[in-house]
Amino acid sequence: MGRRTFAERVYHLLLRCYPGEFRDEYEREMLRTFRERLGHDRTVGAMAVLRLWWQVVMDSILRAPGEHADVLRQDVRYALRSLRRAPAFTLTAVATLALGIGANTAIFSVVHAVALRPLAFDAGDRVIRVWEDNPSLSITSFSVSLPNYVSWRERVRTAELAAWMIGTVTLPGSGDPVNVRSLSASSDLFSIVNARPVQGRLFAGSDEALNAAPVAMITEGLWRRQFGGDPGIVGKPLVVAGTSHTLVGILPDQSVPLDAEFFRPLRIDPGQHDRNNRVAQVIGRLRPSVSLEQARSDLHEIARQLEAQFPESNKGWGVTVSSAFDWIVPEDTRRALFILLAAVGCVLLIACANVANLMLARAVGRKREMAVRVAIGAGRRRLVRQVLTEGLLLTLLGGSAGVLFAYWSVPLLKGWLPETLPRVDEAAVNAPVLLFSIGVCLLTGLIFGALPALAGSRSDVVESLKEGARGSTSSATRWRQLLATAQVALATVLLVGAGLLVQSLQRLQRVDLGFDPQQVTTAMMALPADRYGGPRAWAFYQRLLERLAAAPGVEAAAITSGAPFGGGNTGMPIEAPGAARLEGKPLQTDWRMVSPGYFTSLRIPLVRGQLFTGHPGTDERSMLISATMARRIWGDEDPLGRKLTAGPNGEFTVVGVVGDVRNLDLALEPAPTMYISTARYLWPTMTVIVRTGQAPAQSSTLIRGIVRELDPQLAVFNNRQTADRIASSAAQPRFNASLVALFAVVAALLAALGIYGVLAYLVSQRRQEIGIRMALGAGRPAMTRLILGRGLWLAAGGVVAGILGALAVSRWLEATLFGVSARDPWTFAAAALTTGLVTLAASYIPARRAARVDPLVALRAD
Amino acid sequence: MKYETDTDVQALLPLAPAFLHILIALGEGERHGYAIMQDVAARTDGRVQMSPGTLYGSIKRMLADGLIEELTTGAAGADERRRFYCLTKFGRRVAAAEADRLTALLSQARSSGLVPRRS
Repeated sequence: MGRRTFAERVYHLLLRCYPGEFRDEYEREMLRTFRERLGHDRTVGAMAVLRLWWQVVMDSILRAPGEHADVLRQDVRYALRSLRRAPAFTLTAVATLALGIGANTAIFSVVHAVALRPLAFDAGDRVIRVWEDNPSLSITSFSVSLPNYVSWRERVRTAELAAWMIGTVTLPGSGDPVNVRSLSASSDLFSIVNARPVQGRLFAGSDEALNAAPVAMITEGLWRRQFGGDPGIVGKPLVVAGTSHTLVGILPDQSVPLDAEFFRPLRIDPGQHDRNNRVAQVIGRLRPSVSLEQARSDLHEIARQLEAQFPESNKGWGVTVSSAFDWIVPEDTRRALFILLAAVGCVLLIACANVANLMLARAVGRKREMAVRVAIGAGRRRLVRQVLTEGLLLTLLGGSAGVLFAYWSVPLLKGWLPETLPRVDEAAVNAPVLLFSIGVCLLTGLIFGALPALAGSRSDVVESLKEGARGSTSSATRWRQLLATAQVALATVLLVGAGLLVQSLQRLQRVDLGFDPQQVTTAMMALPADRYGGPRAWAFYQRLLERLAAAPGVEAAAITSGAPFGGGNTGMPIEAPGAARLEGKPLQTDWRMVSPGYFTSLRIPLVRGQLFTGHPGTDERSMLISATMARRIWGDEDPLGRKLTAGPNGEFTVVGVVGDVRNLDLALEPAPTMYISTARYLWPTMTVIVRTGQAPAQSSTLIRGIVRELDPQLAVFNNRQTADRIASSAAQPRFNASLVALFAVVAALLAALGIYGVLAYLVSQRRQEIGIRMALGAGRPAMTRLILGRGLWLAAGGVVAGILGALAVSRWLEATLFGVSARDPWTFAAAALTTGLVTLAASYIPARRAARVDPLVALRAD
Repeated sequence: MKYETDTDVQALLPLAPAFLHILIALGEGERHGYAIMQDVAARTDGRVQMSPGTLYGSIKRMLADGLIEELTTGAAGADERRRFYCLTKFGRRVAAAEADRLTALLSQARSSGLVPRRS
């Protein structure tokens, strides 16, 4: 063929749209046909030439993809046939991938629902939370005093703010009275979170006026549950705590992310509120084109002004501003979930390595088949694509099975998740999760499909044909050993991680609580102010405690403003006149109102002095303090009889020192804590504590029954056994530790399988060499040692790499660990030892097979 | 060459128009690609101008279906290594069956009055 004209060169370029095989076969002919046709058409006229060009362009657009699809169809058909011919390989590979991809999909569905999904309310990314903080008292994210909130709102330009206060109310209704969480909220709160009523209206600014008529809103769920979904309820009066409220609207459930079901307007009387009394929560929304940083510095500046203006209440107090996302999904939670995702990702990588290993072994076995196909004219490109197609097909099969597995396991997983995990209800295998799974599938298919393809395609046809049945490529073997080592390394990393998390959990669960939670039940109740004003409340509780104490099976009973692990905390700065250690600065102290039976109910030890007596006259000015508090204020000196000043509540005398109690969190060191008597102070909502000798399940019925006898209109809520509360407070670490441990075990097994595969192949491949060695006098033990040695050599490389990897990533775990260092040498050693033992076990079978080689048979084989 | 049954013939019907054109063009003897193209154009008064993509895409499939085969040596030694194609027996049977099918259709159309009868 002579030199190509310009037109022919263009057509040649267009032909590139066709698959390689097609071009190999027909390109020459097509070019020639094109040239002849063009020559003819030119004699006909410009229209004919134009038509030809139109045709060939449309060919590349419409026909070429069809040819590609044809090739793909053939590849897939061929791959399916070859997979069907190796059912053991196919099943193993698909099952391994299904497990890996399924576990990743399931975990990702939780991570997505909790940590990645945007917030449920509109414009969630512009919503902020504002707290007060006091670095000098080490207080972060504290509630806000109402006068400060009012000042902020007047001065802030970068955001609109709204406040709320949480409480509980007892509501009448069709059945028993119920106690629900209530919110007193600024009307702006609802517009900030974009809540829209399903019926009626939202609060208006005028509802916040001090003299406005009382109004309320409820949630849809409460409306159905307690009022039978009465369609005419909006506009009707609702009597709450003796006051009649007009119900103005019904809100969708969860449209306000605060778990409340009953809403009232927050009414602020600036003259009535103490700037030092920090009781409210503040939410806000950034104004258009304002960044979080700008709002932060704006509010910092305002806090500085207020500090200068009101030093007696605001000295040392500043603001903390965070995004709503950080507030609803705390960083700890996100970190824990991403650790899980990383761990399960490791398992998938190991699974990939296993399948790649299997495919490499197969590729070596099929070398002759490949060589023959190359010899009869199959392009090398085609063979590579064939292996890749097989890989992708396997992942697709494995991925589909995996997604099914995830679809079925996510509901189970949700039941097992810690209940403290926010937003997890909607975890499901949905579109974004499926997209993730498809991405994972493609990636894994490419990873483990590309390796064998690369290792296989480089083979020399003539060499492979000459090599005969033995045909092994040293490059494939090297790859396989590298993969096995990588598996061991990843498994070691996971074992270290699991070891650290499990130890951390154990230390957390063995921590000294300072009280005995067994057989203790708590329940909460609120006395409506209209019927239980003044001394009537204390009289009621005294009667309740007497009845409880007299009930069969009850060992002790008490009431308190907040039981350990009951959620929430109360604290205030305390001054100790004359205590040199405090250098005149106040000590931030947790406080609890308790009845005399509190310490016996919870078995909190008395260290010195005495407990409350139960006589209001003596208890009113008395105070019990925790051992830590005594030490922090007076060191080793005797604290008994000393005076403490609790802000506006005046002076108290220390009459006793009690043991330290972990009230909030297993991982938190007990804070200085003081106890004041319920004879003097009562909280609107009190917690009843009962210790029984019998099964605690009955004691909640007991409390309910006695309360009902005393006053049938009172609701008892949050009934719970303290031991359960503590167990659920460790639920997140337990969940993480057990899942990571599970992943580590799976990883170790998969790695063992990888090592086993490589060694078993090695033995079958070196039978002749082993036979010769044995014929020359090497003993069976020497052969066993040879193979075991090779296994351990592979493992050693993996363990070293794994330890280095674990050192690199364990820093990441540091923040979630309790009582164990992220570089704990014992954990690292134990993980290395475990991996070593597992490898040894995996090497043993091939090693024994090597020792059983019969030299005669082995030498005769070829 | 495998043994093709009537079922194999029926499975290919109705034929794609391009296939039928190519079969007809090859009815008189072997031809190379451009000759097929010319033949089809001539028979249809230039109304059917196959594109190279259609032509060779069809040839590829027809070879796979066993309708045509490639001659191993160039006919009449005209061009060096030019690829010539000819009908197989099976190809002839399929072409005949398609012609029968079309004839039957045509006579149905005539009897229902859609097409004027031949005078």
